[in-house]
Amino acid sequence: MSAPPPRVMVLCCPDLRGQDATVVTARRFGRVVAAVTGFCPRVEVVEPGVCAFAARGPARYFGGETALATRIIAALAEFGAPALASVAEGLFAALVAVRQADPVLVIPPGQTTAFLAAQPVSALDAQDPATESGADLAGLLTRLGLRTLGDLAGLPASDVASRFGAAGETAHRLARGLDARPLAPRPPPADLSVTQEFDPPETLAEPVVFAAKTLAERLHAGLAGRGLTCVRVQVKVTWADGSHSSRLWRHDGLLTASALADRVRWQLDGGPAQAAPQKDGQHDGHYQPGGIIALRLAPDQVVHATGQQLALWGETVISDRVARAAMRVQALLGHEAVLRPVLSGGRNVSDQVTAIPFGEKSEPRLPPDRPWPGRVTGAAPGLVFSAARQAEVTDAAGRLVTVSGRCELSAEPARLAVAGDPPLRVTGWAGPWPLAERWWDAATARRRARFQLATEDGRAWLAVVQDGRWLVEAGYW
Amino acid sequence: MGTALADIRRKAADWLEVSERSRAAEALAGATSTADAGTGTLPVLPALRELLPRAGLARGSVVAAAEFGLLCLALAAGASADGAWCAMAGVPEAGVLAAAGLGLVPERTLLVPDPGTGWPQVVASLLDGCELVLLRPPPGHVPAQIRQRLEATLRRGRGVLVVAGDWPGAQVRLRVLRQRWTGLGDGHGRLRACCAEVMADGRGEASVARTRWLWLPGEDGRVTAAEPLDLPAGLPAGPYRPAELSAERPGLRAVSAG
Repeated sequence: MSAPPPRVMVLCCPDLRGQDATVVTARRFGRVVAAVTGFCPRVEVVEPGVCAFAARGPARYFGGETALATRIIAALAEFGAPALASVAEGLFAALVAVRQADPVLVIPPGQTTAFLAAQPVSALDAQDPATESGADLAGLLTRLGLRTLGDLAGLPASDVASRFGAAGETAHRLARGLDARPLAPRPPPADLSVTQEFDPPETLAEPVVFAAKTLAERLHAGLAGRGLTCVRVQVKVTWADGSHSSRLWRHDGLLTASALADRVRWQLDGGPAQAAPQKDGQHDGHYQPGGIIALRLAPDQVVHATGQQLALWGETVISDRVARAAMRVQALLGHEAVLRPVLSGGRNVSDQVTAIPFGEKSEPRLPPDRPWPGRVTGAAPGLVFSAARQAEVTDAAGRLVTVSGRCELSAEPARLAVAGDPPLRVTGWAGPWPLAERWWDAATARRRARFQLATEDGRAWLAVVQDGRWLVEAGYW
Repeated sequence: MGTALADIRRKAADWLEVSERSRAAEALAGATSTADAGTGTLPVLPALRELLPRAGLARGSVVAAAEFGLLCLALAAGASADGAWCAMAGVPEAGVLAAAGLGLVPERTLLVPDPGTGWPQVVASLLDGCELVLLRPPPGHVPAQIRQRLEATLRRGRGVLVVAGDWPGAQVRLRVLRQRWTGLGDGHGRLRACCAEVMADGRGEASVARTRWLWLPGEDGRVTAAEPLDLPAGLPAGPYRPAELSAERPGLRAVSAG
């Protein structure tokens, strides 16, 4: 059961009302709203001539809802704008009530539902003009013998919804004295981050790291008090010249306060992102950009703390020593710079290893346990070029070797020239092995023919013909 | 209660370690136990032992290979299979699949494809955590000061630096003199195995040059010593020299052997 909506005061100026409001009436109503704003700053215009606001605060200030309404009406009368006022729980009830106001109608707290139950269903057209089905529905309900909102509210909500759809559901909620839509209660996210400012700016690393430890303890206390932990923690350091360095660190609820302080120290070693790289040998704790003015630790991806289960087997345990080394390098070069390889599937040599940033879950991009027909079998290449190198394969007469659509070779390969290297005589070759990948997707479709070539220097190459061009993907040596 | 739990944990950890070790031993293909593990060398694949002065990679030393390739990966594979963590810095094209075939354990491998201009610091950090770091320094001359600083870091720790490239202070230098792949015909077959002649020399106890024929890798993907009778036909007579090519085709520009 939802809580009843808050009490709302509706003001209606019958003279200024109506959909065909002219510019003059609109301007006059604008002055009315401005006058009401003097009593309550947050006024919502429901339709021309009608405005509403939450009554609780102003009513307490002005000594009661009736007193407030009387004062506002008196103030508006000075403008020459006679007004009616009503107070009820929820906008809809207040809009219904304002029609019967003379000039003030206050539905006492808790009696809004009873007040609405006695109203005819035709009152449904008082709901937001945005939902125009009110009048149609009211006529239909009357013909069905549901004469009052109480009759409608007495029906099971699910039946009303299945018979009359969304409009019926809305009407049913309104008839029960609820808001048109159920509230989605979402408390504002608590700010769990912690910040320490340094005034004057701190030029040495040690005091900042020391402060980081205290901050980390506060952060952990704040999280633990809510039964939460975070997957990552963001460390943001701001220097006096406005430059800053922001980095995410894997946390998983595992970092102690001093471990987190270590991360801060490593991040400080890297210096601000925008500053020029420091010369080697200047890492003695002094920072050029004018000292640090703020340090902020913010939890990222907050999750419920469910505790940690150590792996018993099936998982390589990363020792603290290795993790510290890897994270130090990540502090210098960035999260993506330290990778862990995972063997995976795929038809191309470059697909067969997935490199995953250290600290993230190791999962191959393509499952390795599938057959992957068409992958190159036999010995694996010692070098897999991250970008395939341009090459030229020529026959004995020096012409470029081509492969037809039917996978026929124009001539036997005789020489291989990899970009930047002198040409090499081919001493053995095999292929072409055709591979048509992802033909169903025009953007990623590739048709290639692959070769293995051995050259006179004893090395061997994995060469590919694609779109009439030769590329070298991998080297065997 | 608490002590019982701790007891179980310790037993599980022991068990894990034992199983890990036994798997590593299998990977070493029936090698004799590295009883002196921890006393100064990192184990290598059995076939590479004869090439190295102490039948392993001396901790705190630099081992240089002439260029990056399967030989570098094979050097790292033995230690990795024995339980060491390995890192590869500056080699974005490292064939991890081939390395895994040689015995490297991908789960215990870190890749830093691009260590950037601050690579000495990256390598020093990696040496703090990993027992073996494979490094290809950026092209060009590495200043002696940086080399000496890294070597000092190395001596303090217990790691080994395998450099793919030139490193004047290296205790051991390895290079492939000549190699030949088997399995490829004219338009048929596939690459199966590679027979390579590897030479090792260096300083001190490694100063005597040793040369061995190896299957790098063999048909089963492992590194084994090649028997002279098994050597494939058509091996080049000596180390490959590109200059021969330019002599054969006068139209091409001459290229230095370096």
